Amino acid sequence: MFLPAGSQDQIGEKLNDQAKVNQIFRNVVLRRNYVAIETPVVEYAQTFTNPSVGMEANKLLKWFDGEGEIEVLRADWTTAIARALMTKETTQSKWFYQGSVFQKNESGIESQQAGIEIILMDVLLGEMETLFTAVDVLKELSIQDYLIELGHTGIFDYLIEPLLLNQADEEKLRSAMDEKNEDLVYRIASANGNDQIANQLVGLIQAYGGRDILADYRNKWQANPELLAIIDHLEKLITSLKELGVDDVIVDLGSVRQLRYYSGTMFSGYLKQTGDICFSGGRYDRLYNQFEKNISAVGLAFYVDVLTKIIKSDRKKRLVCIVASPETHVKAEQMRSEFLDAQVDIVYQRPTENQYDEIINLVDGVQL
Amino acid sequence: MKPVIALTKGRLENQFLTFFQSLDFEIKPLTEKGRKLRVETDQFEFIFAKGVDVTTYVQHGIADLGVVGGDILAEFQPDVYDLFPLPFGQCRMAVAKEKGKQWPEEKKTIASKYTNITKAFFKEKGESVDIIKLEGSVELAPILDLADGIVDIVETGTTLKENGLIVDEEFLHFSARLIANRSALKIKRKTLRPIIDLLKQKEEL
Repeated sequence: MFLPAGSQDQIGEKLNDQAKVNQIFRNVVLRRNYVAIETPVVEYAQTFTNPSVGMEANKLLKWFDGEGEIEVLRADWTTAIARALMTKETTQSKWFYQGSVFQKNESGIESQQAGIEIILMDVLLGEMETLFTAVDVLKELSIQDYLIELGHTGIFDYLIEPLLLNQADEEKLRSAMDEKNEDLVYRIASANGNDQIANQLVGLIQAYGGRDILADYRNKWQANPELLAIIDHLEKLITSLKELGVDDVIVDLGSVRQLRYYSGTMFSGYLKQTGDICFSGGRYDRLYNQFEKNISAVGLAFYVDVLTKIIKSDRKKRLVCIVASPETHVKAEQMRSEFLDAQVDIVYQRPTENQYDEIINLVDGVQL
Repeated sequence: MKPVIALTKGRLENQFLTFFQSLDFEIKPLTEKGRKLRVETDQFEFIFAKGVDVTTYVQHGIADLGVVGGDILAEFQPDVYDLFPLPFGQCRMAVAKEKGKQWPEEKKTIASKYTNITKAFFKEKGESVDIIKLEGSVELAPILDLADGIVDIVETGTTLKENGLIVDEEFLHFSARLIANRSALKIKRKTLRPIIDLLKQKEEL
């Protein structure tokens, strides 16, 4: 029997590691007073494809229901949780979730996420809390060699505003920025009549690195209060992260997100060892506009599959075998309480291979 | 660890080496590599692969940087940073058909190695076509009546001409490009940045 491309069975050690990542994440967020939330696996496609969210329908796993509506498997936690929270009258700010999301892409169909959503909280407080939770989780997972990158959607949005692009051109420009494609960015921006903006955008493509980048742009933008406020904001976040002991924090002032709901600070965590992105997120107040709400919302998701690959597995426990008989099986079962730190097999025949750390013989009702 | 650069084997490889030498890099180990697909120099590790595989190696972080034709990037849309054009490997993407032959009244059949580019091109024009995927010698298709026309890259136009085909419409211009792995660009920024700056030809923008 064959599995569809991207589907996978999982067994043994990997599942234990995955459970460990999930457990540690859960411990950390419960300690920080987050409340669990789970949305259903099946939703209407509209939740994810409406213009405020803008996910591509061709990447969703979808089918028609009996009434001809398109249903999909959960494609994104943040969007689904926004929908769920907006149907409740809640004053709770901090939420967490754990589970699969389903989208067709190169790495497969299903991926495991564990993440947080913070709504209705002061902007800086919410972003600090989000980032600090990420640091807390990574620390508890004993992951030290990582890099945090910060960006801000406001920079790109501010610079392209005078270009008055139609939606198609804006998408093209956003995608070219996302690819750091210098010549294409220049071409699109200058074709819409502004060489100066084109040059600024090309400059931004290379504006990634340490704090010197912020200093640079603070200089460049000193006459521009709106952009300067963004630089100040990013500087505050970097300073706090450094004070908290995160070695490597960078900015990428030219970063954009393909999902349209992002509206403010964006963050990504890179594992330096493998280059994988282990978490990403940001501010998305805009996502809640579809519910005619004007609220603050920020969050991030950890990619559990990525973390599972690099955490150290728990040390193997002592393996004990109790050789019993039907008559002594109950006694053997009762003995389990003496071996709470070990893994215990009860068998009726003495094992031939020596895979156990200890073998206890209960065949004759007597422990040898 | 030395930065790893993936190069497209063949024509682009030679043009890259000439370009690389003009920037005062040592290319002897690369020109004398024989059939080896992995070569180390004092500063870099190079791997040699087919164009589309270059994008795969870069996307998966096996290589930090890659040199690949813009046609490959447009066709396969890998998830990499597509930084800027390099001053070689120029070519055009064109629709071509048999000289003196008219397009049919009904839906056209187009043969191409570049099915995604072909589809996107005709979709944007609002014209439905049937596409036949070929792996090479695409010029044969109209001559042998497999298709009404082709979409393919044209460099000098000699191959088209010698097979009795003419360009009907040119629609994309490409050159070789420098691509980078998304994470490596950030994580290894201190080593990669100087190389990228060196490879950049400002006036190309």
